Amino acid sequence: MSTPTIPDKGEQRTQDAAALDKTPSGAGPDDGPGPLQRLAANPRALLVLVSLLVVVVSAAVTGSGAWPRGWTLDIETPLNDLDNWLVDNRETSPIFLYFLLHISNFAETSVDAITGLLESMGWLGVTLVGTLIAWAAGGADLSRRALRTGGTALGVFIVCGVLEMWEATMETLALMTAAVFASALLGALLGLAAGLSDRCERLLRPVFDTMQVMPAFAYLLPLLLMFGIGVPSALIATVIYAAPPMARLTSLGLRSADPAALEASTSLGSTPWQRLRTARVPLARRQMMLGLNQAIMMCLSMVVLASLIGSEGLGDEIYQALGSLDIGTALTAGTAVVLIAVLLDRTTSAAGERLDAVATAGTTRLMRRVRAGVWGLVLVLFGVFAAKGSVFSESEWPEAWTVDITRQLDSAVGWFTDHLGSGVPVLGGTVTWAQGFTEYMLNPLRSGLLATPWWALALLVAVVGWIVGTWRAAATGLVCLALVGVMGLWEVSMDTLSQVIGGLLLTVVVGFAFGVLAARVERVDRLLRPVLDTMQTMPQFVYLIPVIALVGLSRSAGIIAAVIYAAPAVIRITAQGLRYVDAAAMEASLSLGATGKQQLLQVQLPLARKSLLVGVNQGVVLVLSMVVIAGLIGGGALGYDVVQGLSKGNLSQGLPAGIAIVCLGIMLDRLTQPASARRRDQ
Amino acid sequence: MSETRESAPVNPVFSVRNLWKVFGPKGKANRVPGDEQLTGLSGSELTERTGCTAAVRDVSFDVRKGEVFVVMGLSGSGKSTLVRCLTRLIEPTSGQLEIDGEDVLGMDRTRLRELRRHRAAMVFQNFGLLPHRSVTDNVAYGLEIQGIGKRERRAKAAEMVEKVGLQGLGDRRPGQLSGGQQQRVGLARALAVDPEVLLFDEPFSALDPLIRRDMQEEVIRLHRAEGRTMVFITHDLQEALRLGDRIALMRAGEIVQLGTPEEIVARPADDYVRDFVRDVPRDQVISVRRAMRPAGKADAAGGPALAPDTLVSDAIEAVARSGESCRVVEGGRTIGVVDHDRLLKVVAGIDQDGEGEADKDKEVAAV
Repeated sequence: MSTPTIPDKGEQRTQDAAALDKTPSGAGPDDGPGPLQRLAANPRALLVLVSLLVVVVSAAVTGSGAWPRGWTLDIETPLNDLDNWLVDNRETSPIFLYFLLHISNFAETSVDAITGLLESMGWLGVTLVGTLIAWAAGGADLSRRALRTGGTALGVFIVCGVLEMWEATMETLALMTAAVFASALLGALLGLAAGLSDRCERLLRPVFDTMQVMPAFAYLLPLLLMFGIGVPSALIATVIYAAPPMARLTSLGLRSADPAALEASTSLGSTPWQRLRTARVPLARRQMMLGLNQAIMMCLSMVVLASLIGSEGLGDEIYQALGSLDIGTALTAGTAVVLIAVLLDRTTSAAGERLDAVATAGTTRLMRRVRAGVWGLVLVLFGVFAAKGSVFSESEWPEAWTVDITRQLDSAVGWFTDHLGSGVPVLGGTVTWAQGFTEYMLNPLRSGLLATPWWALALLVAVVGWIVGTWRAAATGLVCLALVGVMGLWEVSMDTLSQVIGGLLLTVVVGFAFGVLAARVERVDRLLRPVLDTMQTMPQFVYLIPVIALVGLSRSAGIIAAVIYAAPAVIRITAQGLRYVDAAAMEASLSLGATGKQQLLQVQLPLARKSLLVGVNQGVVLVLSMVVIAGLIGGGALGYDVVQGLSKGNLSQGLPAGIAIVCLGIMLDRLTQPASARRRDQ
Repeated sequence: MSETRESAPVNPVFSVRNLWKVFGPKGKANRVPGDEQLTGLSGSELTERTGCTAAVRDVSFDVRKGEVFVVMGLSGSGKSTLVRCLTRLIEPTSGQLEIDGEDVLGMDRTRLRELRRHRAAMVFQNFGLLPHRSVTDNVAYGLEIQGIGKRERRAKAAEMVEKVGLQGLGDRRPGQLSGGQQQRVGLARALAVDPEVLLFDEPFSALDPLIRRDMQEEVIRLHRAEGRTMVFITHDLQEALRLGDRIALMRAGEIVQLGTPEEIVARPADDYVRDFVRDVPRDQVISVRRAMRPAGKADAAGGPALAPDTLVSDAIEAVARSGESCRVVEGGRTIGVVDHDRLLKVVAGIDQDGEGEADKDKEVAAV
């Protein structure tokens, strides 16, 4: 997920204080104990070192140590049986007839209805009404915010039309509208339940936590199973994927509502319903807006990705183009997706800002009337165009006003790979680098992991889990690892794991470097911020396109995409962690005459340890989710199995791989999640 | 304000008897008040033994109609819990609680809601305003909850906004107001429902001293104008002495002393209270009724006349001006005499022994 959770400042500070207390011996390098003694004094570090040693030695000695064959279960046969049963019974079983079929029919009809509506409104109607809505969301006045939002919307619609992506854009928008509506509703209801009832919160919290670390890819297959290829699967997968952030933030908002205001409401004799309606929900509005924004961005990410299970629109354009290596079309469609992402993000965040502004500063009666008028106008225009749109314009963007840039893009990409891909003197070139990365980093990592006996790896997982988190983290990690082995996917999973580790290392290096820079140099921060903002709103799928253009289909292409995808979150968390270091400690070190470097190494980094760990945790989750999607562009391993399973409807290949991905995800998340963060969650 | 009310009204507004509030696991907490072994324990012993915390312990008092009843104590003494028990914002563990003779603890939800809507309104330390509503709508909030129509509640709210001195700020949002102004909104919100009793939970602690003084004067002014019964929680002794008709001093959940400001300053019940009131300028709290000696026959004629509730500080001025002792006159009859000697003793704080014997019947027993 593209939404890092940052520990609140107060808690972090106590953590930092604790961290300071724990390391008093490291202060004096000259008269302190030697490295060996220091290790001996720190049993945990010693333990990690010993288990690492065991791993290396056992790997060198045994040479191969995959999960024993005798301990695997045959899950293919039962899965095939299940698949056959589903195919045979989809038309007749009562579960389908009375429950699932209704859902899928409803999903289908609603998306169809919205598509039809957009079609009958015509390009003119959609552009006009869309721009007006964006302008109204931004405040419906002549302020910069409102004009910028409206202008963005207008520009996005025009560019999508000009690029000949109008029809695909409308299909995506139709699916988006249905998905956003459903996931916001579902999320708000779940959030209400979790926010008002402690029991619901206890029940839902772990579910949401797990869903947050699950790669988007893993959601597709079970739905394919139940609903078959088509729009309903795509819609429902999207809703399931996007509802949790809305629910989480709604619950958070309800729970963090000013207790004094709630008590005041009670003291005036409000009924529980009155209190909820007049105080609690309005006080949570800010968080709910944020949740809606996140839900929309995740919807877009999933709607595009769901082209794998039969959604139409821009995602499908990309998917088809990637399949036939038509980079030009993929780039064009990708541009449209990015533009839609920008449009949706700008509009919802502008609406959120405006709500905030009204809440703190109030509004004049005139402006209220103007806004009501504009919304009325939107409704009227909507009605007019929906009924008589064909009178004003075609349903599609006029052919004459389009520009086909795919050929130019293709030749540009061709030029790029020819001139910069390889053979650049001294530097090498992008393709050469990628190959080098595969050869010197990924291959050794993979063969190392494969050579390591399973028990040595399990030992390492247990030790790391226990030290970073609790015994519970260690146990969860072990169970996940064992599941992977039992399913007979040990080798493939190690391949994926090697990619994740390689990607994570790169991400952490890049993320920390830029994070430190951004935290210390104001100008870098100003430059990076808008870039990061945009990157964090883009759907995962889009990242694949430029990467193949640069380095072609390969494992390292997926990893580069993963690094680009995961780095913004890590950069942001690192920079924030460093910047929020206790100002007094910074001032104190400055007053003692510390240089900038000393300050960074001795004060900022140690104090920000907790956020750096959170950054690593986010990095792991994001890298994994991207690495498996890279199965589409030659990433191989588990992601490839899932893609195969999806595209061929081969349940026995896809589902175990999907489960293995989830297992890896949970394991890596637990191993990198500091204990205190989880304890707070519970 | 420091006048002792002579005639206790027949029906108190609030009547509290043996009230307990014990926080902790429900089964355990409920057992504490009835268990004689446990009730004798101190706070920390109780926590150690049972895991429960007794915030209010066996408290009894009456709030009389029209008085300002101040509950004062340091933080953690249970005063905020106590005031919340009065409208069951916090459910008391045991005891009796009546409002106008009606049992509060036995009320069902609807009755309780009626009580909160119409009979007792509260002003909070952290204001508890709704940031997304305008000042007027915040003030009208209580009326909205009662289901009163928009026009009517707006009109009433506008009136209240004016009453607390926020003219012209009705369309602002709470976030745009200063702390003192926000608390005025809180006060107006409580007044808007026209309650029988106003409950104040440390309403001015979050304000800076000058504004706090303004707000205290506002409360005094409102009390003079309307005579509404008020229960006022504070940790500030000055505030308690300024506002209170009677003060209940709390410590660790118990009322250590209950009496008029004068009684508390003049005759502290124990060392804790004495410590508490040590720095209070006694001449500005104690009246000549307490400082005088009984009038002999010779005293009937001479010297200026003072009312019994004249403060010692004022009496000092009168005595210094006239150069002789003054008579304390009540209902045309000289009941006592104050001279240099008596007044100096008050200021010096050595008047405790043997004084105020005559007032003994008026003393409200400390619980």
